[in-house]
Amino acid sequence: MKKILIIEDDQIVANVYRNKLAVEGYQTEAALDGETGLKMMRTFQPDAIVLDLILPKMSGVEVIREIRSEANFSKLPIIVFSNTYLTNLIQDAWKAGATKCVSKINCPPKALLELMRRTISGGAVSPARPTTDGAPATQSARFTSEADAEFQAELQKTFIASLPATLAALRAGLQSLIKSDTEVTRLKHIHELYRRVHAVNGNAGIAGLVQIAHLAAALEALLKELYEKPKNINTSTLRTVAATVDFLGFLFERGTRGDKQEIPPASILVVDDEVISRRAIIYALEKAQLQSISVEDPNDAFKLLSENQFDLVFLDVDMPGMTGYELCTKLRNLPLHKKTPVVFITGLSDFDNRTSSMMAGGNDFIAKPFLFIELTVKALIHVLRGKLQPAQ
Amino acid sequence: MNKNPINKNEMTPAAPTVPSPKADAPAVEELPVEMDRLNDLTEGNADSIRELVDLFFKQTTQQLAQLEAAVRANKADDVRRVAHSCAGASATLGMTRFVPLLRELEKQGASGALTTAVQVYEEAAREFKLIQIFLAAQLNPAAPLPGAAHS
Repeated sequence: MKKILIIEDDQIVANVYRNKLAVEGYQTEAALDGETGLKMMRTFQPDAIVLDLILPKMSGVEVIREIRSEANFSKLPIIVFSNTYLTNLIQDAWKAGATKCVSKINCPPKALLELMRRTISGGAVSPARPTTDGAPATQSARFTSEADAEFQAELQKTFIASLPATLAALRAGLQSLIKSDTEVTRLKHIHELYRRVHAVNGNAGIAGLVQIAHLAAALEALLKELYEKPKNINTSTLRTVAATVDFLGFLFERGTRGDKQEIPPASILVVDDEVISRRAIIYALEKAQLQSISVEDPNDAFKLLSENQFDLVFLDVDMPGMTGYELCTKLRNLPLHKKTPVVFITGLSDFDNRTSSMMAGGNDFIAKPFLFIELTVKALIHVLRGKLQPAQ
Repeated sequence: MNKNPINKNEMTPAAPTVPSPKADAPAVEELPVEMDRLNDLTEGNADSIRELVDLFFKQTTQQLAQLEAAVRANKADDVRRVAHSCAGASATLGMTRFVPLLRELEKQGASGALTTAVQVYEEAAREFKLIQIFLAAQLNPAAPLPGAAHS
């Protein structure tokens, strides 16, 4: 029997994966932190490890380095769960010796099982679940498929039942963060909120609620950045955190409604006269798989807007020939763009002076130099809101 | 339209990265470039960083020439406009010491009073040279980057 060690600090996630693997005939153990996981590895002698990168006490990357430093485990397959938006962390995991990196956003238990089968040859021994001896292969496959669907539906039901309490905890955490009056307490509340959002990401991912998992993953990455680089905590970033918690509430209320659990395709226009800023905006959008068209001349942008539908527009404010405010006023006169969300990218010093933007018909702001992940989060919110909650 | 290389369910190993110099650097002095931002923007891909840095060098070299001309001709609005654009790109790439100088030029340009603009411009030009040296050393210690020699 093949042995799998799961190192994951979220007990619910660990149990769900553990149960699924056990049902399929694997022998499993779970550890809730890196130190315990390493001790367990030496006694349990697993054939593979499933590892969350975000762990208390010792980070997932440190755990990989420790594992690789021991001769007995230098070739041991390590499947890493990570957050797609934490690209630097994923790079560190590869460098440390991860075998596979998997996004938590879209990895229900069935997906982990398939990955495990591909990773370790020989797989499991006789599955513990009931089998129909002599039954045709199609019947067996149908049984497996039905059992998976039932299991997944039960996971979703349990997750959705927990959402009101989860939302209340997120809102309480946000209030504590906003009311913090010292950097020490602010960082403490950011870290607490980050841990809660990390759990939402993992739980939504195994429940197959991809939109919630995506937004939670992006918010988790933003909070991590703010915790590690507190100089980036400002009016803009805190406002983005608050807006994201608010929008998570909307997604929680929707639950499983809607036909598809994915980020809908969207058309985004980026207008900035400076090439490096344009590139940064495009990069931030690509983090969330959002496609965009970018132009440097506001007059060209107006022509594009006159002829095409866009789901979201990012506008630099200070551009030669036509300011972002002027372009926004003009686009609001176009039938196609009366309600299209417009986000202004403006200097932090101008951030508190919102009058010009509101007068021009803008919907949101982001302060330059923006955190790439902050822009990603904003774009996700506006795109999802536009698709799931069309303007009245 | 742009391609979407990220967010595959199973992620692929990254290309070789440019190390962040922070661990070896003196703690007290602020470095001219926040390498984390450059690494983040390029996902740590050394070729992408070189391409972006080369673009920044070329663009900033031109902008500094325009700024110098505008400052010496006392054209306040030109100073504001060029300094604003240059500051935006520099802030995006994490040029932490360079940006405040450009913001000061932008502010003086907006006020119409270029009182200390010559001195601030000269300081900005010196800082840009330090950025070039720093990045050339970070990206390729053996040879200077294209565009790094002229400013």
